[in-house]
Amino acid sequence: MNVLVDGLSPLLDPTVLVCLLAGLLVGTLVGAFPGVTGSMAVALASGFTLTLEPVQGLAVLLTIYVGANYGDRIPSILVNTPGTPAAIATTLDGYPLAKQGKAGLALVASSFVTTGGILVSMAVFLVAARPIAQIALEFGPAEMFALVVFGLTVMISISSKSILKGVIAGIVGLAIATVGRDPITGDERFVYGVNDLNSGLPFIAVIIGLFGIAELFDQLLTHREQSVRPISALGRWWPTRGELKQMRKPFALGSVIGTVVGVVPAAGGDIAGLIGWDRAKRLSKQPEKFGKGSLEGLAAADTSSSATLGGSLTTTMALGIPGDSVMAVMVGSMVIWGLQPGPSLFTDNPDLVVTIATIMILATVLSLGISLVRMRGMVRLLDLPRHYLWAGILIFCVVGTYTTTNNMYTVWVMLGSGVLGVLMKRTGFPAGPVVLGLLLGPLAEANLRRALLIDGPSSLVTQPISAVLLVLALIGLGTPIIARARASRRQGSGEAEAREKESSGSVR
Amino acid sequence: MTRRTTRTFTVGAALAVSGLALAACSDSTGSGGGGDSADFPEDDVTLIVQADAGGGSDLTSRALATELEPVLGVSIVVENRPGASGSTAMQYVAGEEPDGYTIGFSPVEISMLGHEGYDVDPADYDFLGQIMLAPGVLVVPADSPYDTLEDFVEAGQDQSLSVANSGAGSIWEIAAFGLADATGAQLDPVPFDGGAPALAAAVGGQVDAAVAGAGEVSAAVDDGQVKALAVFHDEPYPDLPDVPTAADAGYEDLEFGGWGGIYAPAGLPDDVRSTLESGIEEAATSEGFEDTVTKSGNLVVYKSADEFTDFVNSEYDRFGTLLGNG
Repeated sequence: MNVLVDGLSPLLDPTVLVCLLAGLLVGTLVGAFPGVTGSMAVALASGFTLTLEPVQGLAVLLTIYVGANYGDRIPSILVNTPGTPAAIATTLDGYPLAKQGKAGLALVASSFVTTGGILVSMAVFLVAARPIAQIALEFGPAEMFALVVFGLTVMISISSKSILKGVIAGIVGLAIATVGRDPITGDERFVYGVNDLNSGLPFIAVIIGLFGIAELFDQLLTHREQSVRPISALGRWWPTRGELKQMRKPFALGSVIGTVVGVVPAAGGDIAGLIGWDRAKRLSKQPEKFGKGSLEGLAAADTSSSATLGGSLTTTMALGIPGDSVMAVMVGSMVIWGLQPGPSLFTDNPDLVVTIATIMILATVLSLGISLVRMRGMVRLLDLPRHYLWAGILIFCVVGTYTTTNNMYTVWVMLGSGVLGVLMKRTGFPAGPVVLGLLLGPLAEANLRRALLIDGPSSLVTQPISAVLLVLALIGLGTPIIARARASRRQGSGEAEAREKESSGSVR
Repeated sequence: MTRRTTRTFTVGAALAVSGLALAACSDSTGSGGGGDSADFPEDDVTLIVQADAGGGSDLTSRALATELEPVLGVSIVVENRPGASGSTAMQYVAGEEPDGYTIGFSPVEISMLGHEGYDVDPADYDFLGQIMLAPGVLVVPADSPYDTLEDFVEAGQDQSLSVANSGAGSIWEIAAFGLADATGAQLDPVPFDGGAPALAAAVGGQVDAAVAGAGEVSAAVDDGQVKALAVFHDEPYPDLPDVPTAADAGYEDLEFGGWGGIYAPAGLPDDVRSTLESGIEEAATSEGFEDTVTKSGNLVVYKSADEFTDFVNSEYDRFGTLLGNG
């Protein structure tokens, strides 16, 4: 009881409330700004918060972390541009929903499942942080490799029209990922004397290019007035009871996947969102709607990417090992305040653990409130004349990616990826698998080679976690192929089969 | 109500945009202050950091900038130019005007990258003083059979041991090469993506050992998650007083540290150089700077411009030998 009182009382200080609101405002803004991520904002803010009291400082940093997780959904849904990598999976169903004139519904649904995802994962943090965090220690290189291979099977379900084109796109992503220094030996690969290429292609610039800029270029090239119905006039905001029921299963699934992936260090909201979306699709009764504006898909993606917040907080606070890049900055700040995250935090400063959890929960609830209030204004942005809208987005993207590195190279990569994205769009190649390959390729390679260096090839199959994940990955690869074979057997000959072949690309 | 919220939001967004745009343009301010070098500095000084905001290099640089501002009487603009192991920033600094308005944080990598295929040469810079040091520590899992450096080295004579480090070509990988070189133990360095995952691999028992910065490991040592066998420095680390130095454990001169200092493009005018050197000395030995640096787990180790220049060059030669062997 005492711990609760001690933990909650510092939050009654009005300055803490001001810090909370400031953090939320900054967080939502940077989240919505493509290119600028939550970890960048937290890193920059940590320079200022060091002079504050720990509780005030934590209030600012944690609320930015939470706020960014709401803000980044907005451009994903409205203009197909992930605000941060964690919102990549949001674009898969969020943007199709917006194109169908359901942007309001998508934003409201996204806010609610995001809130739910964070709250569930925070409940896990409060109840079982220390035992759960032990999962993180089980994840050595062999287990990470298996998890990443499992993640790569998402490539199949993300390929909306043709598996073949999806796999080709995925291989392109994996190939691009080899540019830069070898992760183990440090040798140059495909650098061609260009110094900037030594650290590989900047991931954020590539995703903004492939999703947002490609869409923008495509619209600019199309010219013709699109008969988009005025979204604000359509305004159904609240999901119906049936839709709520529909989202229940993906929500539960997403919460579990997100929390676990969040606990694993070096795997964050981007990977969780994609895995959550994929699992929900495989378990859904209407998998064919995924990627074409499915509320289930949106719910699964956003729940799992937001549930990583509580997961990585768990690893960070209970083990002292940062669960993601934001938490790495957070640990740096906490150490300077004299608060060392790690097993002793829970025994020496239980009140601080309560304070941290309360800040996270307050931030989540307040973010939901802000999102709902501000929603209408955000959607009205889409009523702007198209040429202003897209020009504005282009400026935002250029400035956002430039600030990540202060280097024009990043902007060129973004624009180049945009051109590639348009070409792929016009030829029917999906962008999702490229991003997946780029995201997971380096993790797969580095962890495989670490595992081989440490124990040799046997460790991949003798470690239980990695063996199970690899088997799951095999099943993930096998089922769509079997399902497809079965589907074509069921169909008769003639036209029906030809049509089925085309649509069976969207795998169940 | 809604409309007002929208407007507030839009104004906020506009402010954020202009703020970021200003930040983006700030690189032009640094080189603007020409004039007579006797009056240096008359304008803002830009301090280039080779790593992302929020990391150790960034934190140290910002702490130094805070102390250096009142000494020089101008603003110090800290600018992050991350990428390509820090070489992006180093090449940028080498290409700037040597007028004192562009300086940078020089990490230990400046003595390493030239041997790893990057176009980085210490001869292209004027070094103005060392300001910090993160000594390396060898840690093993809590349930490891090895309790001393001697045990560990002995075991390494018969079998090869995996030693995690923060990345390919990092100073902690070189430390593992150096340890193997000095003791004859068979060590397989395993590069991870940063110091924290390398330490996590040792905590989780996936590797036989890890080399990491003292500040990175001290909490895990205190909590009993890992055992520290040796500090690669000439004196014990204050937060780990019971951990012997490598010299105490019988291996002289086995010192590896992530040091950092301040540098500028080569060819600074003499008076500019001495103004900066004395300013950096004052800032680096100030209480505020020491407070931030020690709290983040590093040591304040000051070396004058001449000492630091010699040190950088000797490290450059030493790493050349080690990397040639590795």
